[in-house]
Amino acid sequence: MAKSRRSATAAGNTRRSATGRRRAKARAAAPDPDHELDELDMTALMAPFETLGGLAGGIVESLAPQALRDLNQEIRERIAESPLALNSYGYDPWGFHADVARRALLIMTLFYRYYFRVQTYGIENLPEGRLLLISNHAGQIAIDATMIGVATVLEADPPRPVRGMGEYWLPTIPFFNVFMARAGGVVGTPKNCLDILEHGEAVIAFPEGVRGMNKSFSQRYQLQEFGYGFMRLALQTDTPIVPIAVVGSEEQAPSLGNFEPLARLLGMPAFPLVATPIPLPVRYHIYFGEPMEFRGNHNDEDEIIGKKVDQVKARINDLLQSGLRRRTSIFF
Amino acid sequence: MERLLITGITGGQGRLVAKRLADQFEVIGVDRTPWEGHPHQIRVHTMDLRKKKFEDIFRRERPTAVIHMAFVRHFRADPMVRHEINVVGTKRLLECCATYGVKKLVVLSSSYVYGALPENPYYMDEDTSLNVSRHYPDIRDLAEVDTLCSTFLWKYPEIATAILRPVNTLGYYVHSAIGAYLKLPWVPTIMGFNPMLQFMHEEDVAEAVARTLETGLRGVFNVAGPGAVPLKVAIRETGGSAIPMPETVARGVIERLFKMGLYHLPSAAVDFVKYPCTIDGRRFRDATRFEPLFTLEETFGSVRH
Repeated sequence: MAKSRRSATAAGNTRRSATGRRRAKARAAAPDPDHELDELDMTALMAPFETLGGLAGGIVESLAPQALRDLNQEIRERIAESPLALNSYGYDPWGFHADVARRALLIMTLFYRYYFRVQTYGIENLPEGRLLLISNHAGQIAIDATMIGVATVLEADPPRPVRGMGEYWLPTIPFFNVFMARAGGVVGTPKNCLDILEHGEAVIAFPEGVRGMNKSFSQRYQLQEFGYGFMRLALQTDTPIVPIAVVGSEEQAPSLGNFEPLARLLGMPAFPLVATPIPLPVRYHIYFGEPMEFRGNHNDEDEIIGKKVDQVKARINDLLQSGLRRRTSIFF
Repeated sequence: MERLLITGITGGQGRLVAKRLADQFEVIGVDRTPWEGHPHQIRVHTMDLRKKKFEDIFRRERPTAVIHMAFVRHFRADPMVRHEINVVGTKRLLECCATYGVKKLVVLSSSYVYGALPENPYYMDEDTSLNVSRHYPDIRDLAEVDTLCSTFLWKYPEIATAILRPVNTLGYYVHSAIGAYLKLPWVPTIMGFNPMLQFMHEEDVAEAVARTLETGLRGVFNVAGPGAVPLKVAIRETGGSAIPMPETVARGVIERLFKMGLYHLPSAAVDFVKYPCTIDGRRFRDATRFEPLFTLEETFGSVRH
């Protein structure tokens, strides 16, 4: 033990000796059985959340019918095709990991295809390079975010994994925080958003936040107040905004109201009184609008920024209303 | 040859920096503990920063450059002593620098001053507030030192003061809390948490310090290494096994052991294996063209069991 440590550091300390460096390199390059996650190896998935996803993924991969294996392969290829910068351990700076993301996506895709039977419109509107996706938000849990996420990986060309911006309290939830990071979510601080956009990636944001997500059933398809942060970031980084309208999510989990005292007690932003135990199998229609470009000073006062935000909000509302008019049934 | 005073020269990092710079500078070292067998061209004074005689070293040696890394970062010492050495010691050193015509000053702070908080973005830049004392008051003295030096930087524009905030440092010589933690065979972790951690090799930190001095840099700089991995990958790569524990148990046990003097890390340190404290090293990279030489694999290799 001690000997191997000494030789390791000897290699480390002769920083200008070529042989030492080479030895260190060789050691580093030696195959590590745990390093590469292959299909059925679950040793590296330690957190129960990941294990659950991994277990399901593993079962799917070994026992599943050909169709599912094909789907898994398709998702794998789509992730590989997407422009992501991963380090030698397979992680990006924010903790994204392709294997965990693939397993999460696989499960989400099953919901996407067979439960919510998502239809997308105008996904060819996604431009290349950095991108802000702005959508309405509803349905008590953020299924709309995951469905948009699946759509942009499976249906967009080239695939565009989107980064979700989470509430500040999400990283405090055990297990979930790890899963969220591995699947591509980050804490929604302006700095994170800025850096991800500068990386040339696509960021999804819901300017309504919990105001939209946890609103009651009677307020469905009524856009709530938009936050201004996304517009300042778009102006600062010169990022095109793609407005998105999700039709269907607003009926998936009818809420009678918000039980505020309990929410406060649990430290949650809201505690909706939901009428159904699980989200209803509504059909999702996701409309991607044409990219909107804005120019101006990102430090302008709220009044000026607000006018630009209103343009986005109006565009989303147009998409929503036309989507609602075209829809013949909530479920089919 | 320029005269360079290194405080805390006997520590692992101090020795590496001293050896790296011994050819370019006339190196004078000062430390509370003697450096047995130091290279003959380096003069080492065994001296406490808090002593009155410390100023004599400045009077006699007249250094034009100073690297300050005499900090107590562990908790084996009395908290009072720790505070005195870190805060009072730094204050005195800064006064000496101003009085005796020092031209360049490099202070080795650390990225821990930002604190590990759930809402931390991945790339925290130098303008991020020093939040560590919000949940981890035990090391507020290190944040205070950082602030003291920042104030000094603006107060004395004629002195090229650089404050470096490197990430978790690993290596054979450096004794760091994170290094000791990763060297455990069974590494307790907090169940349900696996934050991204940035690492860097001790030689790269020494190189960064040297580069700062060579370029006469002025300002506050994060120093990032080759990248980040989740904590559990780091544990695996250094040869340990992660033992996830419920947070209340972990905090309770650590608190108890700390009070009994059996474990030398306060329970608030748990935040650093629960939430990220990762930084943006762009400013330093752009200013010095510094690129870490050691990869993550090599960095982990240097502390492997």
